[in-house]
Amino acid sequence: MSPRRTDTGGHVDRLKTIRFTFDGVAYTGHGGDTLASALLANGVTLFGRSFKYHRPRGLLSAGVEEPNALVTVLKGEVREPNIPATMVEIHDGLIAVSQNRFPSLTWDIHAVNQLGGKLLSAGFYYKTFMGPVVGPLKGTRFWMFCEHFIRRAAGLGSAGSAKDPARYERMNAFCDVLVVGSGPAGLMAAKTAADQGARVILADLEPRFGGSANWSGETIDDASAADWVRRTVAQLEARDNVRLLPRTTVWGYYDNNTLAALERVSDHKAQPAKGEPRHRYWAIRAGSVVLATGAFERPLVFPGNDRPGVMLAHAAERYANEFGVLPGQRVVVFTNNDSAYRSALALKQAGAAIVAIVDVRPQPSAEMSALAGEAEAELLSGHAVVATEGGKALSGLKVQRFDMVAGALSGDARSVHADCLLMSGGWSPTIHLASQAGAKAEWNEALQAFLPPKRTQKWVGAGAFNGHFMTLEAILDGRNAGLTAVGATVAPMAYPHIESLPCDPRPAPVFEIKAKGKSFVDFQHDVTAEDVRLAHREGFVSVEHLKRYTTLGMATDQGKSSNVPGLAIMAEALGKPIPEVGTTRFRPPFAPVSIGSLAAERFGDLKPERLTPMHDWHVDNGATMYSAGLWYRPMIYGLSGETVEQAYVREAKATRENAGIVDVSTLGKIAVQGPDAAAFLDRVYTNMFSTLAVGKARYGLMLREDGFAFDDGTTWRLGDQDFLMTTTTANAGKVMQHLEYFLDVIWPELKAHVTSVTDEWAGAAIGGPKARQILAACVTGTDVDNATLPFMGIVHGEISGVPVMICRLSFSGEMAFEVYSGAGHGTHVWEALVEAGRPFGLVTYGLEALGTMRIEKGHVTGAEIDGRTTARDLHLDWMLSKKKPFIGSAMMDREGLVASERLELVGLIALDNRPLNGGAHIVEEVDEANPHGSIGHITACCYSPALGKHIALALVKGGKARHGTRAHVSDPLRNRFGPVEIVSNHFYDPEGTRMHG
Amino acid sequence: MAERQSPLEPEFHVGSHGNFEHGVEILLTETRPGSIVQLAAWPGEEKTLMAAIRAVTGLALPDGAGGGSSDGVKSVFGFAPGKFTVTDEAEGLASAFAKVVAPAMGTVTDLSHGRTAIRIAGPKAEWVLSKFFAIDFALPAFPVGAGRSTTHHDVFAQIQRTGTDQFDIYVFRSFARSFWKALCHASEEVGYEVQ
Amino acid sequence: MLITCPYCGPRDVIEFTYQGDGNRERPDPASQNFEAWNAYVYDRLNPAGDHNEIWQHSGGCRVHLRVVRNTLTHEISNVAFVRGDHSSAARRKAEDKP
Repeated sequence: MSPRRTDTGGHVDRLKTIRFTFDGVAYTGHGGDTLASALLANGVTLFGRSFKYHRPRGLLSAGVEEPNALVTVLKGEVREPNIPATMVEIHDGLIAVSQNRFPSLTWDIHAVNQLGGKLLSAGFYYKTFMGPVVGPLKGTRFWMFCEHFIRRAAGLGSAGSAKDPARYERMNAFCDVLVVGSGPAGLMAAKTAADQGARVILADLEPRFGGSANWSGETIDDASAADWVRRTVAQLEARDNVRLLPRTTVWGYYDNNTLAALERVSDHKAQPAKGEPRHRYWAIRAGSVVLATGAFERPLVFPGNDRPGVMLAHAAERYANEFGVLPGQRVVVFTNNDSAYRSALALKQAGAAIVAIVDVRPQPSAEMSALAGEAEAELLSGHAVVATEGGKALSGLKVQRFDMVAGALSGDARSVHADCLLMSGGWSPTIHLASQAGAKAEWNEALQAFLPPKRTQKWVGAGAFNGHFMTLEAILDGRNAGLTAVGATVAPMAYPHIESLPCDPRPAPVFEIKAKGKSFVDFQHDVTAEDVRLAHREGFVSVEHLKRYTTLGMATDQGKSSNVPGLAIMAEALGKPIPEVGTTRFRPPFAPVSIGSLAAERFGDLKPERLTPMHDWHVDNGATMYSAGLWYRPMIYGLSGETVEQAYVREAKATRENAGIVDVSTLGKIAVQGPDAAAFLDRVYTNMFSTLAVGKARYGLMLREDGFAFDDGTTWRLGDQDFLMTTTTANAGKVMQHLEYFLDVIWPELKAHVTSVTDEWAGAAIGGPKARQILAACVTGTDVDNATLPFMGIVHGEISGVPVMICRLSFSGEMAFEVYSGAGHGTHVWEALVEAGRPFGLVTYGLEALGTMRIEKGHVTGAEIDGRTTARDLHLDWMLSKKKPFIGSAMMDREGLVASERLELVGLIALDNRPLNGGAHIVEEVDEANPHGSIGHITACCYSPALGKHIALALVKGGKARHGTRAHVSDPLRNRFGPVEIVSNHFYDPEGTRMHG
Repeated sequence: MAERQSPLEPEFHVGSHGNFEHGVEILLTETRPGSIVQLAAWPGEEKTLMAAIRAVTGLALPDGAGGGSSDGVKSVFGFAPGKFTVTDEAEGLASAFAKVVAPAMGTVTDLSHGRTAIRIAGPKAEWVLSKFFAIDFALPAFPVGAGRSTTHHDVFAQIQRTGTDQFDIYVFRSFARSFWKALCHASEEVGYEVQ
Repeated sequence: MLITCPYCGPRDVIEFTYQGDGNRERPDPASQNFEAWNAYVYDRLNPAGDHNEIWQHSGGCRVHLRVVRNTLTHEISNVAFVRGDHSSAARRKAEDKP
């Protein structure tokens, strides 16, 4: 048996031995142990080094509020830093290491910082790194050298860089009642609501339900409180309208009763089960919420209150009663309230000697004196602890007479030999979630605590959360909350019979004992009482500023135990009562949340992607795939040894010489149907569509309401009331929403429906001088000659037994056709086309060649329709109908949109025969060292196999007027400067003779 | 005619997967209906269209948002005001509707290729779907026959409950493989079988 | 934030797309009144308090909704179809659970 483990008592499974290591040392613990309880049982007192001063630190608490005992848990290559040892359940093979120490925890080089305490006081970082550097070191490298070490010396654990292989998941849940916290209040609320038939979720951040009932030693209805918990949980488990979520921290309370929770599904296991996530992020939409989140005990602020062995009183009680571990043999209790007497008795019963109870109050009640007697403890009323002694463990302390009204110490300090000091500075209800939900916490003078704010959302509080610290109150509260939450009438109930020790919940208003030495307020960020006063002296009066300047409450524990003492000290310094100083509003998360759980399944392989019907064919046939938004498209079909440029040049050349085929299934396709479909298109497009004949297609341009260009594409009239609109790949979703908006909001009288049919059709564009011959070789059921299928004509036929729709249109500038088939037949048709094209030298080509041929033709895409260009800028003004209004027509002629100095689309040819870059600027002056006077920029560029030159499309001031002139491309980031000629954007076959055949 | 290619093919592995040693709690399959058709009524014509749906499929649609029904071969459900998805194991549903849905009533859009139908069944179906969609899958909130439109990230989905423990999910074909993979992944912890 | 779509019921805000100020009035398409067009395209009320907004349930039924939302509290006091003419087949029944 470990040195501090009691022979009996607690809820650990002494028959089950678990092996783990801490800082490389092997230890054993038992089933039900946390890392904290197991190490404590092994006699470990030193858990970590403090943030700034590297002071030795032990356990302060037994729960989620732990500020000191932060460890890094190693799983394979993955390190998870800053986990409170109190929240780590041990399992076989657990590897944990301490943090913020070098080279080791027991021998830490930075502990020397303790000597330089004044240097690292409040606002140290602001003063040091952000203020003006003055003095002899100004401007020297020495200071930067120091900064490196100072930053390294201060801090928490370090994150690893290995990829986390763990699985994280997200879960959506709906319930009538969410109960947060499973102490007596929460359990009772859950049971009551469930008995009413409500759908209930009960969440607790601990692995074991029951909260304080697990360690209070009280009896409820003649059973031990722990048995009452077991019985109640078993009842809840048996119900199918209850979901129990242990190890689940509800960390965020958002609008409309939406709450966020983190379930630690498998951290407590050596190996998760197959497919089991590590963490699960729960998004819970609750009809109402019962907040039964309990309360945190507060430390007292006095010199040396951070020494290992100084612990919160109830934490020690919990270690003894829940885990069967004694934090010390010779225990002193230091308190300003009654609750610590119960802790003293619990430790006495577990086998420790209670040397003394030091109470700041001059005269504790007779009941407390009796409890002190029962604990065989010397009661030092009207006294305070003024110092602690020892190094890595407590060896003793000093006590002095204390007048709590004056806050003054008197008499001689008396030494007391002790290895454990329990402190209790009163209790702060855990109101974080209620505060997140809105409204301000309210100070209660009697309880010396902030109580829950007024309700701004649908929640009900119960138990210690309400400042009702007695178990009887908690159970009554819980029942009422359960009934209120389901909207039932609250009727009186028979009181349960509770045996508990007497306790007046009102503490004395003492937060700090002022004596010589460092008195810690925020243990995790090493903020002392003196730091708070220094901040006040330096002019900080707002609590929000105090928080930021001293960093009080800003560590990973978010000041769960330090906020109220910090405020009290600030209030005293300001000479104001605490409610006037106010408190900071709590924000999510209540406790740290793994980033993995937030990213969940939207990460890596599980990110949604869109694949065209021919995707697998492309991959199988050597395509290098390129992600375009969510889509994957072939970039090139490279031959072995080919560079990307060689591949696309070959593909584009072959297309212009013979024929090429490209997958265009990603184009947005929208069915526009109904009696008013044509009229609707007339309003949406700048040009006319009502005049389009059935069986014909037309190129269309859309503007936004503000008159700028929006999107372009061809629209095919398949029937009198049936159009197939195509959009650019990137804008498909936006165009769809645009159309839906106008039909729903602006023109509800129009009978037109729009439906996304992008995925219904597989599209293959086949172009080149031999494209028609290839089609003729494989299409049945229709001719494809010029008479049957003129430019912009549409025919229906079959390819290899599958129905297809063919439209003759061209993006490449060649004689070209788009062949559409049902998506499920896409690969079948594609393969038939490729097969038919083989004798004609047909090549498959990807986005690079597609882009090259479109640049050669001067067609625009999203790079040019960038939200800042107008139809005129892009030389598409011929498409602006003067016969009808359309979206954007009223705004497109505004002064600024027709100005002569606007950027217009032009072509560029590199005169130095070197590649151009997208985004490069065009300048007039030859001043490579000091480029200035941009007249525009490049939007797209390529090597043109048709021209044998490096060319680009660009938006240039004045545009057309500059055709034939020279300028320079300037791209200092990529060291590119050189002469270009400005030409028409139509580089290749401007008359379109190839396309028209 | 050539058989329609499933977008799931390379990722469709018949058999038991994941944590199935204690039995599978999820069945996954692609139902591959011959027809998936979208019908949309003009305002005021909803009831006429519902009658037309009954005439063609024999399925009566309950009044109210998201109502639907299924006979195991044909299914129908509302997914938006005046809009319905109708499916049939057989092909040819779109042309059957084109004959009875007059231009004055509404429109017919054939989506037989454009949507992929994935069926998830089993005692953990609600659990697994809740990992994806922020809607309430509990039976009282989502009765048998009813349809819902919702989204998982960018994956738009129409879901019909076709049994107490069974849901048919219609997703865009291009997203189908991605969604299928995610569905399999999410089903691993409870054990699943692909049929 | 949840928005209760009259067709789909309460859904997370992530399923919706904000489509702008619901107080805008689009001038007659043929109008050349630049003031009116300018007001429609650019002028926004931006009130502190109740705001009449258009939201599309883009991740659900795709219908546009007129939503009255308090810009200070996010409280939504009213949601209706923008085109108020959907028949009973388009509405959730009163007994439907949210």
